[in-house]
Amino acid sequence: MLLNIENLDVFIGSTQILRNISLGVNEGEIVCLLGRNGAGKSSIIKSIIGLYPSRSGKITFREKDITPLSPRKKVLSGIGYSPEDTRIFTELTVEENINLSTWVRGKGEIFSYEKIFAIFPKIKDFLDRKGLNLSGGEKKMVSIARALALNPSLLLLDEAFEGLAPLVVNHFMEALRQIRKLGVTILLGESNVRIVSQITERTYIIERGEIIFEGHPREILENERLLKLVGK
Amino acid sequence: MWVIYTLNGLYFAALLFLISLGLNIILGVMGILNLAHGSLYAIGAFIAAWVIIAIGMKVPPFFLYVTLLSGLVLAGIVGFLMEKSLIRFMYKRTLEYQLLLTFGVLMLLEDVIKMIWGGQAYYASAPFDLLGKVDIGGHVYPTYFLFVMAIALIAGLFIWLFMSKTKLGIMLRAISLDREMATGLGLDINRLSTFAFVLGSGLAGLAGALVVPTTPALLGFGHEPLILGFIVVVVGGLGSLKGALVGSLLVGFTRSFGIAIFPEIELPLLFLIAGIILVVKPEGLFGR
Repeated sequence: MLLNIENLDVFIGSTQILRNISLGVNEGEIVCLLGRNGAGKSSIIKSIIGLYPSRSGKITFREKDITPLSPRKKVLSGIGYSPEDTRIFTELTVEENINLSTWVRGKGEIFSYEKIFAIFPKIKDFLDRKGLNLSGGEKKMVSIARALALNPSLLLLDEAFEGLAPLVVNHFMEALRQIRKLGVTILLGESNVRIVSQITERTYIIERGEIIFEGHPREILENERLLKLVGK
Repeated sequence: MWVIYTLNGLYFAALLFLISLGLNIILGVMGILNLAHGSLYAIGAFIAAWVIIAIGMKVPPFFLYVTLLSGLVLAGIVGFLMEKSLIRFMYKRTLEYQLLLTFGVLMLLEDVIKMIWGGQAYYASAPFDLLGKVDIGGHVYPTYFLFVMAIALIAGLFIWLFMSKTKLGIMLRAISLDREMATGLGLDINRLSTFAFVLGSGLAGLAGALVVPTTPALLGFGHEPLILGFIVVVVGGLGSLKGALVGSLLVGFTRSFGIAIFPEIELPLLFLIAGIILVVKPEGLFGR
């Protein structure tokens, strides 16, 4: 298993935001964390990358305990992160945003611009534009490209489809399939079960900081109670 | 006399630009409100005065000006030690902790200055005297003030080029724009923060060293520049080089013309300007 989380508890101050989270991601999979806004998807992703420290539990990546590691060490071990609201550095150009990742990688093997352009050809047209002047869809592309430039074996993608037009959603799904073909495993945080059902084989439902379901997204679509729970 | 007031305004602005640039880098990149910034300025002034007095006229004049860099170097070293030993534990703390800690460091550095250089004034006018005076439109003006303006201009250009063209500068800007995302992207936040603090401290020390040939270094030397530096940051806005420049010019000219026209309210006027900007445009003229 590429990523394994066992009994993870996370607190912000005195408030527990994640309870006893256990999940696994196999190499080459696209696995989804499904849930409504505020259910805890982003918190799980932030805990994996190290932005939210855990109080108890264990995160292993490639059989190595990475729980206490800093975000930098986690990134260098092969985890890339594209957050919910893209978090593009608005005053830097698209090229500078992506270059930051290649500089972090240093002398390690890089995910080249050629590969990025093969997945998102449009980026080529606005490489010198500042993050401030990008549309929502363009920001999403850059955010994923920036995470890919870290050359990760596991890509953490939070709400990659949020706010996108249906046509663009299809384009992004195709992009994720291409990324997977390049050998990158994806853990996706998503709130739309219809999208999830088209791209993943395994889904976890998160509700109030707990995992309440694990299975194929088809099972969710066929289960009224689960459908009601995820809100779509 | 207006020519002289204008030039004096530019001179004040040049010094404030160096101080506020350092303050701005530290506040922008690290989110640390450093109350000890004025003490780093004072350290720069004392070491430069001490070196200039020690070497006297034994070296060619050019080296006398190179010794002013001692302020930058020593303040940078002190900044490095401060960041490594104390400041780095404050990144995740609230503002009150930062203020308490940096105020404590301010008091500590004042005592260290007193312990090393004693309570007397250090005056080292050689770099000022050597440059003499120039005639500008029929007015005699110290050449040294023009030298300070040139150094501030060079430092500003250097910082602009550094921040916009180098890997290190772009990484610092990324941290300043979104520290959490920069962390999640794997930037080496600790090393970059140390570098930003050293750079900001060095600029404060350089400003102090540039002042000491015109004004004796005394205990409490850094208090007023600290306050004025904060006014510049409030006026110009956080994280903006343009803001630091415009804020420095505004404060510098207000000070210069204020001293000439209404000296009684020169300092309150600066606070009034800062207050108005805080109400009308809380992020400052060019802040984010």
